[in-house]
Amino acid sequence: MPKFQAPDHRAAPGRGRPSRRAVLAGAAAAAAAAGGVPLLSGCSAGESSGRDGTTGGKDLKKLLPTYVASRVSDPDIPGRNGSSPGFTRAPAPEDLTRSVRSAPGGGGTYTAFTPLWGTPPPKDALYYRAVNKELGATVRWQTQDGNYYGEKLSAVLASDDIADIVCVPQWEMQGRVHGAISAKFADLGPYLSGDRVKKYPNLAAIPTDAWRMSVFGGRLRGLPMPARPLGGVIPFYRQDLFEKEGYEVPRSPAEFLALAKEITRPKSRVWACEDMWWSAQIIFGCPPEKPYYWTEENGKLVHKVETDAYLEALEWTRKLYAAKVVHPDAVAGKANDMTVRFTSGQSLMMNDGDGKWYGLTFEQATANPGFRIQAMDFFGADGGDPVLYQGAPANIWSFLNKNLSKEQIEECLALADFIAAPYGTREQRLIEYGIEGEHHTIEDGVPVKTEKGVKEVLDTYRFVVSPQASVAYPDHPRMVKDYCGWMQRMGRHMRKPLFHGMQIQEPNRYASLYTPFEDLNKDVVRGRKPMRDAQRAVEDWRRGGGDKLRDWYAELLEKNGSGV
Amino acid sequence: MSSTVRPRAQEAPPAAGGGAGSAPGPAAGARPGGPAGSGLGHRLRRDRSLLLMTVPAVGLLGLFVYVPLIWTTVAFKDYDPFLAGLWASPWTGAENFSLLFSDSRFWDAAANTLAITFLQLTLFFPIPIALALLLNSLLSDRVRGAVQSVLYLPHFFSWVLVVTVFQQMLGGAGLLSQFLRERGHEGFDLMTDPAVFKFLVTAQLVWKDAGWGVIVFLAALAAVNPELYEAAAADGAGRLRRMWHVTLPALRPVIALLLVLRVGDSLTVGFEQILLQRDAVGPGASEVFDTYVWWVGIANGDYGVAAAGGLIKGVFSLVLVLLANKVAHLLGEQGVYRR
Repeated sequence: MPKFQAPDHRAAPGRGRPSRRAVLAGAAAAAAAAGGVPLLSGCSAGESSGRDGTTGGKDLKKLLPTYVASRVSDPDIPGRNGSSPGFTRAPAPEDLTRSVRSAPGGGGTYTAFTPLWGTPPPKDALYYRAVNKELGATVRWQTQDGNYYGEKLSAVLASDDIADIVCVPQWEMQGRVHGAISAKFADLGPYLSGDRVKKYPNLAAIPTDAWRMSVFGGRLRGLPMPARPLGGVIPFYRQDLFEKEGYEVPRSPAEFLALAKEITRPKSRVWACEDMWWSAQIIFGCPPEKPYYWTEENGKLVHKVETDAYLEALEWTRKLYAAKVVHPDAVAGKANDMTVRFTSGQSLMMNDGDGKWYGLTFEQATANPGFRIQAMDFFGADGGDPVLYQGAPANIWSFLNKNLSKEQIEECLALADFIAAPYGTREQRLIEYGIEGEHHTIEDGVPVKTEKGVKEVLDTYRFVVSPQASVAYPDHPRMVKDYCGWMQRMGRHMRKPLFHGMQIQEPNRYASLYTPFEDLNKDVVRGRKPMRDAQRAVEDWRRGGGDKLRDWYAELLEKNGSGV
Repeated sequence: MSSTVRPRAQEAPPAAGGGAGSAPGPAAGARPGGPAGSGLGHRLRRDRSLLLMTVPAVGLLGLFVYVPLIWTTVAFKDYDPFLAGLWASPWTGAENFSLLFSDSRFWDAAANTLAITFLQLTLFFPIPIALALLLNSLLSDRVRGAVQSVLYLPHFFSWVLVVTVFQQMLGGAGLLSQFLRERGHEGFDLMTDPAVFKFLVTAQLVWKDAGWGVIVFLAALAAVNPELYEAAAADGAGRLRRMWHVTLPALRPVIALLLVLRVGDSLTVGFEQILLQRDAVGPGASEVFDTYVWWVGIANGDYGVAAAGGLIKGVFSLVLVLLANKVAHLLGEQGVYRR
């Protein structure tokens, strides 16, 4: 997934708007079974067409496309402990291979409704024209500001005027949107399930785990964007400033707090960190977000908010705020400018999605050559090994309008096959870097975007479908090594959440059960509400439907088995 | 705007005569055709061109205000915009309302809205009037123009910008705080203090919109006959007395009208402004009706409950505007309308 940074670019932890949704944006996952062997738990038949629930067992197995590995290029850093493979070198233009025949499209025109983080390029940009020409079809982009995508998406889904290709990220599947997917979008099973996918080799090379997440309402409907494991929340720090000041990277919550106090010098406009709530949850071993927020203890399902870990994480984050080591603008909830404070040295630690690792490295390379962003290794609550829950294998899908004809769907899938081309192919180079000489030039053997490239070649096609997740930034090989090394080290502590990799739709009546916690967390860590309010909220949650939701999940577990 | 002009035109003569509160006759003099009531057909023929001119505005009003009102029925339904749509969604009676009333966040929002409404009416509303009087007393047109421009300017800033300016000035890492720290004092953070939040948003509103609010009052002041001032001065009235006996009575109808309109609108205390600062102080201090509805409806997809909340606000606003109008009548003013 080279150069991919969009979902986590802005929508990463706490962007001032619902950060629970946001954090999932970056939340990666994955292909622990990067090999792609179907990870099916032996389970009984699931609900196949019900509006809520999940799909498992034989029903699921029948739907999944057959995995056929792509062997275009071997990574420079192979995957280990579930980590994504890394590419630090770029093949020369003449060595790029072709993964699909040229112009797979049949001249059709399709509209695509996708989120975009950044300034949209003009609709007739050279980049779009060039890719369309290679596709042999026209994709008309209706890109929307990614930060406000959910609101637009809801309005569009409620209308009859739905684009041909629509991207829906997991974190925008609030309330009834999840159910709308089954009603509005085409069943791709007849085209992709089993061996049928072999017609589209690049789609066949998408890991099965990601496909497994693409089953909605008992049908294979989504084209997935596979995610990296552990990519959602990464505790970044300014390595250059740490080295300059002689700070030691902390290895326990207590060390973190002590260091944070040492770093903070308001008089010089330096604060230790941004809001660290998302990291805190991981440090103290909280399970991830909906629907992966359950753990099983003694045969009983326990919700994240019921765990001690959750309260401990709150307590620790509260200490950071009380010690005034959090940047005041972060206290004021101005999460959108977090990276500006981080890059300008006003705050030295922040947690954000993995896209920032490359995004900031790229952004600062010319303006601030000394800038170096690094991730600290997660530590456990006592300074020992952390418990890290693997992220979902896919968080973002695109869907095809159900009103498309069979021929049109086949054409769209052929286009998707082109777009899903892996690293080392001509198609991938075109999608990621545009045209050589126009959008990028080859410098020291690696493609580097020109000004026009930076403006026009944004993450647009990636939101239709993506190949297996990788870390491929040959222009910043050190960053690739840093990231892959971190992933490999962290991978050792990785475990799967109870419902890992399962696409679960909760019944509507529980939709707003969990939402009060988001505000509550913010209030408690900032000291506006006492800790006991959090405990009381858990009681309210239980009585208000939490216990029923537990029963619902228990039944689901019994029927479909777990995802572990 | 015609409604703002008419009452003044009618009321100016009694005000000018020094008498307070003499009720104007039933729209006399406004119509050229003498006493009304010679049949609907006759009136339609007579006012044909006027009626035609209102058609576009009425059409827009119907399309964008009255037609969408059909969707308020969502408040009584289990609304699913994706699968069922408005007509097919099942009726649920008052269930959305009971959910709404059992939500403590709604009551927080109600309390905050009323508190901010009160602050805005008492702290914001008088300021444009005071500014208008001050500006009116400036003799130099050039100085007045310059001051007016400076006052108007913030009105054109977006709320994002206003909130950012305040954050950069008064926030914990803001200019004032840093200034104090550099001189060895403690910094402060006004932006994250729930106790001052309501004053803060009112102050932001004053900074942004008080200058803009001056316009209507200045127009009213411009309509005052200068001879009145001269006559008052000749009778020995000083500056303050002239303001009290000439200027303020001239402004009174406008003040009453705007106050009534403001009261009807008063539960709308700012959406973007509040939403942008919600995390800084928490929903307990900052949630208002509009942000609550947005949060529940748009963000969480609970359209029925959100519509119920919106409906409550609408009904409440209607009651307020009727009450305010009544009070205006009791005080002898025209208000927004008179039956």
